Amino acid sequence: MPDFSFDGRPVPYRTGQSLAAALTEAGIRVFRQTAKGAERGIFCGMGVCQDCLVTVNAVPNLRACMTKAAEGLEVLTQVAFADLRLAAAAPATAQARILEPEVLVIGGGAGGLSAAIAARRSGASVVVLDERRVAGGQYYKQSVEGAPLDVQQSEGAELMAEAQASGAEILGAVEIWGAFDGPLFLAEHEGAALIARPRTVIVATGAYERPCIVPGWTLPGVMTTGAAQTLWRSYRTLPGRRVAVCGSGPLNMQVALELAEGGARVAMVAEAAASPLAHPWAGLRMALAGPVLAAKGLTMLRGLRRHGVPVRNATVLTAVTRTKNGLLAAFRTAKGRQTSVEVDALCMNDGFEPQNEILRLLGADMEYDAAFGHLRCVRMEQCETSVPGLFAVGDCAGPGGAPAARTEGRIAGQAAAARAGHGDAHDLHADQRELRRHRRFQKWLWRLHSVAPRSLADTPPETILCRCEEITLGQVREGVRTTPGHVGTLKRATRVGMGRCQGRYCGSVSARLVAEATGGVIDDRSHFAPRVPVKPVSIAAILAAQETLDGLD
Amino acid sequence: MASTDILVVGGGIVGQVAAIELAEAGARVTIVDAASNAGSTANAGSLHVQMQSRFMRLYPDQVPKLEASLPFYQAAAEEWVALDAAHGPFELVRNGGLMLAESPDQLAFLEAKAGREARKGLSVEMLDRTGLERIAPWLGPQILGAELCRDEGKLNPLTVNNRLRTRVSALDIRCVTDRIGRIDHAGSGVTARGVSADYRADRVIVAAAWGAGDLMGPHDLTIPTRAEPLHMNITEAGGEQIRHLIQHAERSITLKQLGSGQVVIGGGWPARDRGRDAVPGVEMMSVLGNVALAARLAPSIGGLRILRTWAGMNTVIDGASVIGSLPATDRIMMALPGDAGYTLGPLVARMVAAMMLGRTPPHDPVQFAPSRFAA
Repeated sequence: MPDFSFDGRPVPYRTGQSLAAALTEAGIRVFRQTAKGAERGIFCGMGVCQDCLVTVNAVPNLRACMTKAAEGLEVLTQVAFADLRLAAAAPATAQARILEPEVLVIGGGAGGLSAAIAARRSGASVVVLDERRVAGGQYYKQSVEGAPLDVQQSEGAELMAEAQASGAEILGAVEIWGAFDGPLFLAEHEGAALIARPRTVIVATGAYERPCIVPGWTLPGVMTTGAAQTLWRSYRTLPGRRVAVCGSGPLNMQVALELAEGGARVAMVAEAAASPLAHPWAGLRMALAGPVLAAKGLTMLRGLRRHGVPVRNATVLTAVTRTKNGLLAAFRTAKGRQTSVEVDALCMNDGFEPQNEILRLLGADMEYDAAFGHLRCVRMEQCETSVPGLFAVGDCAGPGGAPAARTEGRIAGQAAAARAGHGDAHDLHADQRELRRHRRFQKWLWRLHSVAPRSLADTPPETILCRCEEITLGQVREGVRTTPGHVGTLKRATRVGMGRCQGRYCGSVSARLVAEATGGVIDDRSHFAPRVPVKPVSIAAILAAQETLDGLD
Repeated sequence: MASTDILVVGGGIVGQVAAIELAEAGARVTIVDAASNAGSTANAGSLHVQMQSRFMRLYPDQVPKLEASLPFYQAAAEEWVALDAAHGPFELVRNGGLMLAESPDQLAFLEAKAGREARKGLSVEMLDRTGLERIAPWLGPQILGAELCRDEGKLNPLTVNNRLRTRVSALDIRCVTDRIGRIDHAGSGVTARGVSADYRADRVIVAAAWGAGDLMGPHDLTIPTRAEPLHMNITEAGGEQIRHLIQHAERSITLKQLGSGQVVIGGGWPARDRGRDAVPGVEMMSVLGNVALAARLAPSIGGLRILRTWAGMNTVIDGASVIGSLPATDRIMMALPGDAGYTLGPLVARMVAAMMLGRTPPHDPVQFAPSRFAA
């Protein structure tokens, strides 16, 4: 096996593996030190949390989950303050590439690929930009080597092949950081700059996972369920030998089963919601709306039983602590009793947060969904937002699942192409009927789970709320008390949400804490103001974009 | 109607410091703040003393006033040191400021400027490339030289705002969120009329920055306060390297590294005004232009990432501050720093507070009298 070095020690990897996967497989969990001396490792596994930073060949602060392992790389534990003399060694960037498609699709998952195919079929020129190296998105997450694991992966592979055959240009490893009126997008692509000036835009950026915010949730070894799934499905790497899964929702069951089938010992699946037997009506309605998916759910439960994985309903995570050999995850059970398991990796998914930064930046209207505790993008029949020519499909507009995202993609793809002068997008009735059925299924599915944002009333004040700036819940509560009014004021007073992930985990919680204190309603303006960059962007990439745009004048 | 000894309109750096001074002297003080678009909450933390080339270029007619204000800027920097000692630490560092030249013309401009500033008593010095190598070896190779102004420095406005707010709260200064639209005075006192309520006071300090001009209607004064939305950027943290406040002889930029290790890049690139109730928007050309310029001057930051951009309101008047009583009544006092409002803020605040208490102000206010705007 080829290898790279981590702090001087050789780490073997398989072709295509991310640094994070190879390090995890080698049993290395600590990737970086924070400014306050804490240790961090892989958490979200999808480029959102910005916690798995490492230095690679003297370039500091690269995300290990988004960086491909390669022979001879010198990888170092990331220190909190990168030496600027090392940073200066960053390579100069080439001239920026300019893309001017009729339809730009942002995000290459279920919704984005479907939109690209539909827009191409209508005759529009299409470019798809995806943050990951390999498109497919979080639902279809593709394997970097070997045959598809199951139907879900092969379905994704088919969709990818269809998108490629459609003639759409699909670019991976593209980090969009700027969205401006026009519309005009600025992105970083393998160290170079990319500028997109499309006629119409379909945003299909999906969702990221909501964590269980408890003491110890920042410890290395604690990761989102999706991160564990990516390790396994994309890189055939188990997050640990002993695993527990917690939070709420169907992804937790699925990943627990996948990991058990992959050879992990899954000590427990803790589901916050009561047993589905307590909601027979919702279960029945869900099964009527989506018999195939409902059957898949039952198969999952049977599979877990076969592997001896206990599924505990009405059980929630209360704390994570370090032990000599791993992590101790403590839970409160339905009867109020404490129980705990020792694991190597603890996976958490407490629902989803839409990745709506680009939509908000461009001024698309949002509505607060109190049942789920997040913003939903307001859309018209054909998935167009309040901004003409800007469409939103899939979970970025408010989580609705991959099948709905595919249907929305087909609708928006045709509509965006029509807007660019191709076809008329009149024949969408069948898709719209199907979409209604998917939404019915989702509505009943989530009644079986616990999707409302968790109350933090019983959370200890020393619990970290803002991972990046290491700000505790107690500090934020004190900030709410002394600087009432707005989440922006709270941010400036406490630094909550000021870090590298830009408030993606603490933002909605902070908005709710402020609203609780002021008694105000929550809306788009209750959240941190959307600002560029959408994701941290290298100064070198800004320099390249500036030189290119300067040359255009 | 609530009544108070002294009402301070505006809760930014000026309003807070003035309120603290007055409350410490025993006055009952209320601060009314509109809680939107205050310059102090968006400030980037430069401590300016030498004449800013940006300002000289944009407002050449105001240069004489600016030059006459130089000792005032110097005193303002000293005032920050005192404020830091009393209410800090604010991460205040005074390593000096470098204004960079990339061409012989720019060098000549700086030499002339340094001469004028030295005559006004500033501690300035011209450095050639060799001199720069000793104190800032990370500068781009095209930099020919620089003017070093030893009085300049940097601080963290977030820390300042927090610490002053704590002091305000400890002194039981009442803080109200409201927007004052008009201030009337009668023989017995002053009434400030807000959107939510009216506020009665014996006297009023107007520390409302760009919003102050609109309050002068009934007082036969036309103070040309103007909001200037400006753009800023901040990077991820890096190891300590950049000790000085960096500016340029011809182009708009300020660049500094804060105690957090983050580099703040600003210096007057425009942002989009979206009205007084919405924060200004970020313009693409400002992000690109401002950051690209910074990367050319300091290539060592090229490997860092920009984490965030934002925009805030600077206040422009006529190149000089407006300090003191209105011609018609000494119940209303203006406390408006000219350009570089954050730097001048504490000194302006303490001058007005002293005048209100009948004490000798720490700097002669005569050149800043509001009467210069009388009809």
